[in-house]
Amino acid sequence: MDPLDGFGSPGREAAAADSRSAWSRFSSWLECVCVVTFDLELGQAIELVYPQDVKLTEKEKTSICYLSFPDSYSGCLGDTQFTFRLRQSVGRQGFKDDVYNRDAPVTLQRETAHFFGYVYFRQVKDVSIKRGYFQKSLVLVSRLPFTHLFHSMLQIIAPEFFEKLEPFLEAVCNEIDQWPPPSPGQTLNLPIVGTVLQIRIPSKSDKPGGSPVRQMTKENLLPAPTLLPTLHELDLFRCFQLVLIHLQMLWELALLGEPLVIMAPSPTVCSETVLALISAISPLKFCCDFRPYFTIHDCEFREYTTRTQAPPNVVLGVTNPFFIKAFQNWPHIVRLGEIKMAGDLPKQVKVKKLSKLKTLDTKPGIYTAYKPFLHKDKILIKRLLKGIQRKRPSEAQSAILRRHLLELTQSFIIPLERYMASLMPLQRSVTPWKTPPQVRPFSQEEFLSTLDHTGPQLTSMLRGDWMGLYRKFFRSPNFDGWYRQRHREMTQKLESLHLETICDADLLGWTKDKSEVEIVDLILKLREKLVRARRQHLQVKDGVLDKLDAFISSIVGSLPEDLQSVLNAR
Amino acid sequence: MSLRVPTMSVFPPVRQDRVIAQLPQAFRKEAAFHITEDFNNKVRSACQERRTGTVGFKISKVIVVGDLAVGKTCLINRFCKDAFDKNYKATIGVDFEMERFEVLGVPFSLQLWDTAGQERFKCIASTYYRGAQVVIIVFDVNDIASLSHARQWLEDALKENDPTSVQLFLVGTKKDMSSPAQYSRIEQDALKLANEIHAEYWAVSSLTGENVKEFFFRVAALAFETNVLAELEKSGSRQIGDVVRINSTSSNPYATTKKKQGNCCQ
Repeated sequence: MDPLDGFGSPGREAAAADSRSAWSRFSSWLECVCVVTFDLELGQAIELVYPQDVKLTEKEKTSICYLSFPDSYSGCLGDTQFTFRLRQSVGRQGFKDDVYNRDAPVTLQRETAHFFGYVYFRQVKDVSIKRGYFQKSLVLVSRLPFTHLFHSMLQIIAPEFFEKLEPFLEAVCNEIDQWPPPSPGQTLNLPIVGTVLQIRIPSKSDKPGGSPVRQMTKENLLPAPTLLPTLHELDLFRCFQLVLIHLQMLWELALLGEPLVIMAPSPTVCSETVLALISAISPLKFCCDFRPYFTIHDCEFREYTTRTQAPPNVVLGVTNPFFIKAFQNWPHIVRLGEIKMAGDLPKQVKVKKLSKLKTLDTKPGIYTAYKPFLHKDKILIKRLLKGIQRKRPSEAQSAILRRHLLELTQSFIIPLERYMASLMPLQRSVTPWKTPPQVRPFSQEEFLSTLDHTGPQLTSMLRGDWMGLYRKFFRSPNFDGWYRQRHREMTQKLESLHLETICDADLLGWTKDKSEVEIVDLILKLREKLVRARRQHLQVKDGVLDKLDAFISSIVGSLPEDLQSVLNAR
Repeated sequence: MSLRVPTMSVFPPVRQDRVIAQLPQAFRKEAAFHITEDFNNKVRSACQERRTGTVGFKISKVIVVGDLAVGKTCLINRFCKDAFDKNYKATIGVDFEMERFEVLGVPFSLQLWDTAGQERFKCIASTYYRGAQVVIIVFDVNDIASLSHARQWLEDALKENDPTSVQLFLVGTKKDMSSPAQYSRIEQDALKLANEIHAEYWAVSSLTGENVKEFFFRVAALAFETNVLAELEKSGSRQIGDVVRINSTSSNPYATTKKKQGNCCQ
């Protein structure tokens, strides 16, 4: 190849010849990077996409364009960062062989039907431009909910990009294409623009809320100039400071997956607040739809504002006051204003009647008829408010909040986990000669009857109608998502145990006095089990799958030749 | 409590062939960083007595610069992957490798930033140069022009750094393609230039591997020695391992060091 080749557009032809396919590492982190600009004739338009051959549908492109710009620009002079989430077009291929999702905490799993857009928007006066303003967004599009990592990256990349343009973006994308894949439980060094970010990807087996600092011999620490303390966590205190006294209500609304609109003065505030709400029920996965930033241009706008059916279970973050009218039939609307101080304290919003929600200049407040099932934790609120007066750092306030929410969610979920575990069949009922036993069905009444002895009162001081909260929770998508996940894990566990018992059984002995039909049936069933185990990345003891493979081949070898060729051809 | 330092996974032990116990010697005494036979005594005793403070997990940032197609990537690949690919593939922007050593019993890493020689990427390179402790300027011993551009590469690299604290290496590549007579002619010029810019001179072949390992060992040893000496001098106030945090409230970590530049590439 001529060394001077590729001056104009250094393509990836050469790289494609590499053993790994081009952009494979990049795409384990990001779907693409987009530059969205304001064109006088076209309005918002995608100016640049990396990788150039990424497949976005027209609908996805349009959504990215609209969602990458603040709804009304006037308030956002300078640089603004926010997050959006959009639906992937139907028919898009999912992520194949996703070992990451198997090992990551459920709250950090890769999205299968949505993309996140992490936006860095710059709006500055520029007399050289016809409109008088430079307006451009750099957007990282990803399936991963790593809010903090991606916004930290944007802080590094975006300002440089706006000066140095395309070659800079090309170089950055190439760097990301050298990153190791996101592996749960591992500490990774990610080179970016001359520095290295060091992060640890949380793992499913981490203890939630456990002390993250472990004493290590120093020799094992690799240096890194920039250590990111978290991949995804937000400054919860900053997000909730105007609604601290209603924290209990907001947690319940999130837990129950209630239709909820957060209306805020800026996309930054509305998107962070939505994401904070979603994370408030961690380690439980929020299974409803959520749009940290939603505009009237969104394809789902009509679907969400139709008055003929009940509002869907979705949490929306919006800035446009027009939504007050559009969402009048929604049950819960949180309207946040600018932060006003009452003495030393940020003025807390009040709960108001929905009927008060009429005009565009509606005052800040939580507009709802919802009555929380549990009483609020006054000690916590007092502690946080005192923290403000004493100027406790925001990180410390957030840590208090996070711990409170985690303990609350754990108290709620532990009885469910315990009951669910009791539905698991006994290990000795797993035998090689029968299909694996099934997980017993979940009975709501049976579960509720366990609460007297082993309910949340064991771990939480909060009083109130826990029973009522559980009953309502059973009808929410979050319960459904949690139950399916657990059920799948338990079924897979049974399947692994079954494979292991089969592996230890005397299969050859069993085939001795069996007819050909029965043996062929056994082979086919075993093969099917193995295929499924491999596809699901089932965790079984070392050597089990290989041993069964070897067993199948030896049995096949003992059959008549014509049958062998039929079986091997399959 | 607020700073959540993630637990570190245990990194694999340093490879046996990355252990440095003696100071590797310079290639040419005429153009060397220094010509002492062994590590500085203070450094050696500090390492023996484990007084190296946080150098144990210290790193040096190394940038590799030079003309298009002189063999920067090949040089790094020969050392880091012990591989040589005859096909040319232009570096897009920057490649990155991390190489771990054990020097005098202390773990030490080199971050190798392999920059693109193409004009197209020149304007972005400065972003990558910041904070470099070692600058390796690469030229092709069969291409006198690539040597004459070395000064310009140096100037660009030093704009972003404190010139007094950067260790410089001038490395001639593709030695295997040069006849002894040709080589000695260009070596004269290279040695002269190396002295003028205070760089240590090396000549290597990534194809045969000649001097490649010796060169990187020398880089690691000298960077390590300099770091330990600096740490001993400072001894105290601020720990090397101090962590810089980024969070959404803090400004761009580069904001304080960066000056505005025009749009240089369109």
